Amino acid sequence: MSEMTAQPAPDEISPVEKPPEAAGEQSRQVYQRWLTADRIEHWTFITSFTILAITGLVQKFASSPLSQWIVRALGGIENTRLIHHVSAVVMLLCVIYHIGELGYKLYVRRSRPQMLPAWKDVTNAIHALGYNLGFRKNPPQQGRYGYEEKMEYWAVVWGTVVMAISGFMMWNPIATTQWLPGEAIPAAKTAHGWEAVLAVLAIILWHFYHVLVRTFNRSMFTGNLTEEEMLHEHPLELADIKAGVAQRPTTLQERRKRARIFFPVYSVIAAILLVGVYYFVAYEETAIATIPPAETVEVFVPLPPTPLPTPVPTKTTIPGGLASWDAGVGDLFNTRCVICHNNTGKIGGLDLSTYETALAGGKSGPGVVPGDAANSQVVIIQSAGGHPGQLSQDELQQITDWINNGAPQR
Amino acid sequence: MRAYFRKYLPAAAIAALGLSLLVVSVLALALTANVSTAVAQTNPPPEPGISNETCLGCHGAPDQTITLPSGEVVYMSVDPEVYNSSIHGELGYACVQCHTDITGYPHPALDAKTHRELTVSMYKACGRCHSGMYEQTQDSVHAQARNNGNLNAAVCSDCHGAHDIRPFSEKPRSAVPQTCERCHSQIYETYKTSVHGSALLGEGNPDVPDCTSCHGVHNLQGPIDPNFHLKSPQICAKCHTDEKLMAKYGLSTDVLDTYLADFHGTTVMFESEIPGQETNKPVCVDCHGVHDMQKTDDPNSIKQNLLVTCQKCHPDATPNFSGAWLGHYKPSPKNYPIIYYIQLFYLIFIPGLLGFMAVIVVSDAGRRIINRRKEKKHE
Repeated sequence: MSEMTAQPAPDEISPVEKPPEAAGEQSRQVYQRWLTADRIEHWTFITSFTILAITGLVQKFASSPLSQWIVRALGGIENTRLIHHVSAVVMLLCVIYHIGELGYKLYVRRSRPQMLPAWKDVTNAIHALGYNLGFRKNPPQQGRYGYEEKMEYWAVVWGTVVMAISGFMMWNPIATTQWLPGEAIPAAKTAHGWEAVLAVLAIILWHFYHVLVRTFNRSMFTGNLTEEEMLHEHPLELADIKAGVAQRPTTLQERRKRARIFFPVYSVIAAILLVGVYYFVAYEETAIATIPPAETVEVFVPLPPTPLPTPVPTKTTIPGGLASWDAGVGDLFNTRCVICHNNTGKIGGLDLSTYETALAGGKSGPGVVPGDAANSQVVIIQSAGGHPGQLSQDELQQITDWINNGAPQR
Repeated sequence: MRAYFRKYLPAAAIAALGLSLLVVSVLALALTANVSTAVAQTNPPPEPGISNETCLGCHGAPDQTITLPSGEVVYMSVDPEVYNSSIHGELGYACVQCHTDITGYPHPALDAKTHRELTVSMYKACGRCHSGMYEQTQDSVHAQARNNGNLNAAVCSDCHGAHDIRPFSEKPRSAVPQTCERCHSQIYETYKTSVHGSALLGEGNPDVPDCTSCHGVHNLQGPIDPNFHLKSPQICAKCHTDEKLMAKYGLSTDVLDTYLADFHGTTVMFESEIPGQETNKPVCVDCHGVHDMQKTDDPNSIKQNLLVTCQKCHPDATPNFSGAWLGHYKPSPKNYPIIYYIQLFYLIFIPGLLGFMAVIVVSDAGRRIINRRKEKKHE
């Protein structure tokens, strides 16, 4: 991005300090390479680029645990996208500023367009490779922008254009598909993702090598290069500065005249571009905010319950009647009562398994009082109803009759 | 020395015997524990106290009813034949091993005021032996609904039955949806007509999911849980990424990968990591349908109505827009060539450009190192 800045005005590239007079003394002369505004622009661009790269690549490589960690740290995918979008707008604003800056320098200050690629850059690259491999004695002599910087600059221009167009398409897919086939949207996504990979890798390999590893270039911090650095990196520019021909001569009057034309024109262009950015952000409402339920259905709709069986009246179990204990009463007690009131269980102290124990009864009193059904506990308890093994009305009546008849055993 | 032995030998022998007994019993316990897991039971049942004959003396009669405070008449009768042919009856369990509150007569008064309360009150009885599954049910949507006061939510016996209980493993797969149908009859009617339901219920095809394949068994989950929706693609993927199963029906196994590679899938994958996250991105069922999902070539399916499907969430979508969805295809020269060739371009361009840069960078670095050494020599 450092290369994006066009050539500064002549008064800015002239020596900042008076040239040292003492012979043999190491030159402490510095040359201003970047204006404060250039540096602010670069750092803003770096910030937006870095944030875009992080928040974008985590989406491209979504299945990586690192991506998931980053997205979680950023507060979720929607937040991550919001940050990505805000950074994209910042980058677009940088681009609009840069267009104005270029226009000002080229038109108002009449600076030479030194960033334009030329055939010389190709030969310089071959020359540099030859020098590195030992085929040439000296490195290429380059001007204000070397072939390395021009490559970087135009890569950024190309990348920004690809990213802006494909980004717009993804941000506004409905608008895009009014003009283009639907496939354009995933195509834009593919290009956007791979272009990002290319940009990040190129910055790390190319730009970081040249400004951080090969020499630690402080000019993007301080704004200046030393004379020695100028001699190594930009010898032709240094020669031009010393010869006083680095900048085309212009008068203040000419510059003012051109500025009066430039600023209104640029204001209109910038306004149009800003409207473009606004459309970029707010052109369409792509999707509704909350997804409708996939299915709306009544959850609890029970089948009608199986009807309970109608109670069948219990038949009298002893068809021959209940003449005596042996002739039926004993059997009735055995089937209906003895399951609880037996010899071993004796629930309520009552054992109805034999005639004798039935007469004896249990805790509440005698079970059967011959001739006196009203005082026999069997009748009293059964008449109250609700007893387990409840006798039917008919059975109870016959038991009552049997007792009132003296409760004969045989 | 001998006296010493004489004094301590009996104690040592008892200790050794005790120790070996302990080892044997621990081993035996471990073995029985294994066996009981095999029959889906984790804890031994309580001791039977009263014999089944005692209970059936009254409850075996077909007309045993009680009237609850709600006015509902509830049958207290148990058909001995039905119980004896149930799995618990077959294994000889006693009534009172489930009905542990019954220790004699008269029985303790019922707390339940309605028939449903009575059914729900028996829920914990199953947990005494089947504690593992019981614990799982505590995390289910049914338990959540019940904890929120909805007593209709199913308990063990609603699905498994009570006195007539038989293992589901003996029953045909169709028994599962038919069990759920008892409470969720509307969903069942929809499921029955879907590509999955019609295969299972109509053709007896065992390859398709029943209710529990997606919702789980004892720890049943459903859309009450917002994570269920977001995690559901993984449920579909269980079968739809199975090469062997899908080959049988000529279906693609790329469906999950292509979904995750798409904007929707990528987003959902991130959102599913965050509990309770709401989304406006679709999962499988949002396009394919839930219980009514059809084959994609069905006249009512999404393929024929793709734009309509898109417009559910993208109301302004135009016919071109739906072409942005790649229909689970991976870009190739045949399908979506533009995307394929853009990918190809970058796969050549990126290594090419970086390779060129690397040549210059590496040779430049080498030259600098050589120059520095030379300078040192001169000094």
